[in-house]
Amino acid sequence: MKWVLALVAGLIALPSFAPHSATKPIGAPYSWPTWAMPFGTDHLGRDVLSRMLHGGRPLVLTSLAAAAAGVLLGAAVGLAVALTKRQMLMWPLDAIAAVPPTLVLLLTLTAMPDRTGLVLAVAIAGAPLAARVTQAAAAQVVGRAHVEIAIARGENWAWLLGREILPLVGGTVLADAGMRFVSSVHLVAAAGFLGLSVSDSDWGLLIVEALPGAPLQPWALLVPVLGVALLAVSSNLFADRVARRSRGMLG
Amino acid sequence: MITRLATGAALLAVLSFLVFVGVELLPGDPVTTRLGPTATPERVEAARHQLGLDRPVLVRYGEWASGLLSGDLGRSATGKPVSEMLADRVGNSALLAGISLTLLIPLSLGLGLLAATRRVVSAGALVLASVPEFVLAVGAVLLFAITLRWFPAVSLIPAGSSPLAHPSALVLPVLSLLAVGMAYAIRVISSAASTVLRSPHVEFMRLNGIPVLRTAVIPAVLPVAVQVWLVTGVSLVGGGVLVEKVFGYPGIGELLVVSVQSGDLPVVQALVLILGGAMLLALLLADIAIRFLTPRLRTAS
Repeated sequence: MKWVLALVAGLIALPSFAPHSATKPIGAPYSWPTWAMPFGTDHLGRDVLSRMLHGGRPLVLTSLAAAAAGVLLGAAVGLAVALTKRQMLMWPLDAIAAVPPTLVLLLTLTAMPDRTGLVLAVAIAGAPLAARVTQAAAAQVVGRAHVEIAIARGENWAWLLGREILPLVGGTVLADAGMRFVSSVHLVAAAGFLGLSVSDSDWGLLIVEALPGAPLQPWALLVPVLGVALLAVSSNLFADRVARRSRGMLG
Repeated sequence: MITRLATGAALLAVLSFLVFVGVELLPGDPVTTRLGPTATPERVEAARHQLGLDRPVLVRYGEWASGLLSGDLGRSATGKPVSEMLADRVGNSALLAGISLTLLIPLSLGLGLLAATRRVVSAGALVLASVPEFVLAVGAVLLFAITLRWFPAVSLIPAGSSPLAHPSALVLPVLSLLAVGMAYAIRVISSAASTVLRSPHVEFMRLNGIPVLRTAVIPAVLPVAVQVWLVTGVSLVGGGVLVEKVFGYPGIGELLVVSVQSGDLPVVQALVLILGGAMLLALLLADIAIRFLTPRLRTAS
């Protein structure tokens, strides 16, 4: 499963290897593939390969940032609910969970049409699930004897979290982070597709731009479609594997 | 049961308030949308007063909510009544979701049960669940509309005419929605089925030569499946936003994207409320269905 990590690292490094600029036209619009341009050009005559290579990094980095932010927020709320047993802390996240993620994305990006807004929107959409998973895992641990002994010893919160609870819950949270990354990729690509992208060669943007001209130059559409599908499927397989491995930890 | 209905109604009221205030917070001013950028400050002020936008949010929410109760959704920023703009769209989206759901129910039950024992099917569902819905839809366009030329890539349905009059335009949107819903439904149903298949009483029945599928597995899976179908049905209407956008299908998802981008707040408020309300209703129906399909819960209360 190391190849998935290599794929993600590769996508971050790839823009340095792009043969052309992502934004400057280098040939006639809708040129078919040649040796110099393996996937042809798009509707403005820009190199599809170079746009793909440039677009991978913002997609992966934005998704990583959003997944990390969503998991941190969700895990913090989930741990707080499990430790204090105050279910009402979960209510705001439950309310967000009732709104479809695409809608959260649309509304947040209308208010904040920049990368911070995108990361925030995707993080907010993912936080409720992360909170639920963390709470469920932590609730099992909080009642255990070693935690109750630590509480009776008068240990402080930092000790309880760092020494007694997190080592047992960490695996589950990490596995959930993988799932959040997958749905972050979906949402970031969807933002590009809806014309709300924050980079000039987002894969979602490549797809929506290539759609009208697809009968003339199908490669400009096929390549980003396969790119998003490959990234999503392989990161999901990876997350699934991590989740299955961590399930044994709490047993 | 009555408390469950009351909770549902209360949640809907809370949702309507959140929707109203939440959408009000968005940038974009309905007055400038209507008058255009060249309007003088005096005209903008007059229009705000005429539309009642200079009054407190709570007062306007009260009016909006009482209008909702009498079936009046207010007026769009373009001046047209919202209910008129929504009339065809809601029907079109419901039709798309309805057809997809009708196909989804038997297919997901069959494939879900199959996936509990066949790894190929469950692996296929995992891959299908990984791909974003709009990518699936675009992939369908590439394969069936551009390469094979079997169906149109864009749903050109004239306003006022029913999509049923253009069946070929419905095929690809239905197929895309079906794929999205199937992936999730198969995974949930197959995980429920494999838990039942592993339990001792099923083993015992099988050893005695009793057909387990009809007597043990389906009755145990059905409550889970009904819940998945109801929730999927609603998310097909709401989550269909991107699929409708791919095909230019005249449904509420496409209208929602356009309205958010043009800052048409009354339309956004009405649509979010309809989608949220439909989700709450589906969850309520799922609760009732589970009680009905699980004898243990029925006799306990």
